[in-house]
Amino acid sequence: MATQAHSLSYAGCNFLRQRLVLSTLSGRPVKIRKIRAREDNPGLRDFEASFIRLLDKITNGSRIEINQTGTTLYYQPGLLYGGSVEHDCSVLRGIGYYLESLLCLAPFMKHPLKIVLRGVTNDQVDPSVDVLKATALPLLKQFGIDGESFELKIVRRGMPPGGGGEVVFSCPVRKVLKPIQLTDPGKIKRIRGMAYSVRVSPQMANRIVDSARSILNKFIPDIYIYTDHMKGVNSGKSPGFGLSLVAETTSGTFLSAELASNPQGQGAAVLPEDLGRNCARLLLEEIYRGGCVDSTNQSLALLLMTLGQQDVSKVLLGPLSPYTIEFLRHLKSFFQIMFKIETKPCGEELKGGDKVLMTCVGIGFSNLSKTLK
Amino acid sequence: LSKPSQVSSGQKLGPQNFIDETSDIENLLKEEEDYKEENNDSKETSGALKWKEDLSRKAAEAFLRQQQAAPNLRKLIYGTVTEDNEEEDDDTREELGGLFRVNQPDRECKHKADSLDCSRFLVEAPHDWDLEEVMNSIRDCFVTGKWEDDK
Repeated sequence: MATQAHSLSYAGCNFLRQRLVLSTLSGRPVKIRKIRAREDNPGLRDFEASFIRLLDKITNGSRIEINQTGTTLYYQPGLLYGGSVEHDCSVLRGIGYYLESLLCLAPFMKHPLKIVLRGVTNDQVDPSVDVLKATALPLLKQFGIDGESFELKIVRRGMPPGGGGEVVFSCPVRKVLKPIQLTDPGKIKRIRGMAYSVRVSPQMANRIVDSARSILNKFIPDIYIYTDHMKGVNSGKSPGFGLSLVAETTSGTFLSAELASNPQGQGAAVLPEDLGRNCARLLLEEIYRGGCVDSTNQSLALLLMTLGQQDVSKVLLGPLSPYTIEFLRHLKSFFQIMFKIETKPCGEELKGGDKVLMTCVGIGFSNLSKTLK
Repeated sequence: LSKPSQVSSGQKLGPQNFIDETSDIENLLKEEEDYKEENNDSKETSGALKWKEDLSRKAAEAFLRQQQAAPNLRKLIYGTVTEDNEEEDDDTREELGGLFRVNQPDRECKHKADSLDCSRFLVEAPHDWDLEEVMNSIRDCFVTGKWEDDK
């Protein structure tokens, strides 16, 4: 088959999402073999199957072939269609797992995407919906993806293992993306946060706020941490609590950190005071890493730079995460884009660790399926 | 007959060496004198032992430069090609008695291939944020810290 020759081949289940996302955007089929081939329970897991079903829902004409044991996946992407979609995510992973990929794909749909996702809104593994709302959405706005219909709303909160959360994400479509020049992260002017609690005493959230403030107050006085206690059907199926913190700079950079309590029945009980303090320290670590983009969203920023108009884009990042490094390799194999990478030492300034300046020229990707009105 | 000649040659060499050494020492002394004179000159003009002060700073700079060069990010990211070659592992594996295949222990990359797909960048070596100097390392990231002159 002609298309088979152009397909890229990978092994293992790691980085499955970025492979499928880049495959969809570039139109190159991808074959992934040996998915957990050596494990007692081989093949794709439920959450990955759910992700593939989600891709099938938002595209038109995708071909997906999975072998009997689930260890081999062949994906031939169709066209990004969008529209109104509902999806029940697996409770094994957070909604963030699915949402991160949707953020990469949503601007390039034929019809604006409006999707209802159900599952776990906050867990210990994936970036929570709160953090993505506070960091990824402002980042997309920098690329010119904006408008009234651009929003992420948390309707219900759901903690693992039961889930039961619900979010609504809607995103306008764009024909082309603006190139960005984010080289000055600015200075942190305020810290905002969200302490949430579901199916536990609402006092938990207040205890988190007090302990987190006790650490952050040493740096800046402008701190406000909202407490969010959802009740009844809006509180999902499992008890839990957590905190997400976001530091905003004068130039519109958002750095985030978050922690969630252990899922019901797993691990020891966590004190809200400890959780608040540890989360505040994680935010300080993130500030130490620094850069113009949060460490979670590095790959999103680099992808949108790659897909931008044929112009130079620059972004200053903190140290590159292993996920981002693999993403850069994938960008090279799918789009033949190599970034110029310069290390910027921190020097004498008291501004945390070394930074990395990433530069590239966009490939001039344009959304041809977008309907003209 | 050979022994005395060696001795004599040794004796001959001895004084020559001595002369060389003394001349060397004389030269060194001269240089030192010259240097002292230069020093005296520089004391009057731009301060003593300026080159020595530079030395420690230069060494520190050279060390930092080397440190930065060590993790060449571009090479780290694009240098290693991790392609999945299908044919290799089917053919090159040993067979036991023509029936069983030896299952090689997982290499590091193989292990990585099946690990958790997560974009979060976990902090591996957290700082102790109770220490004053650690806290000071990010002071200027905040509006309450020091600002650059041009802003």
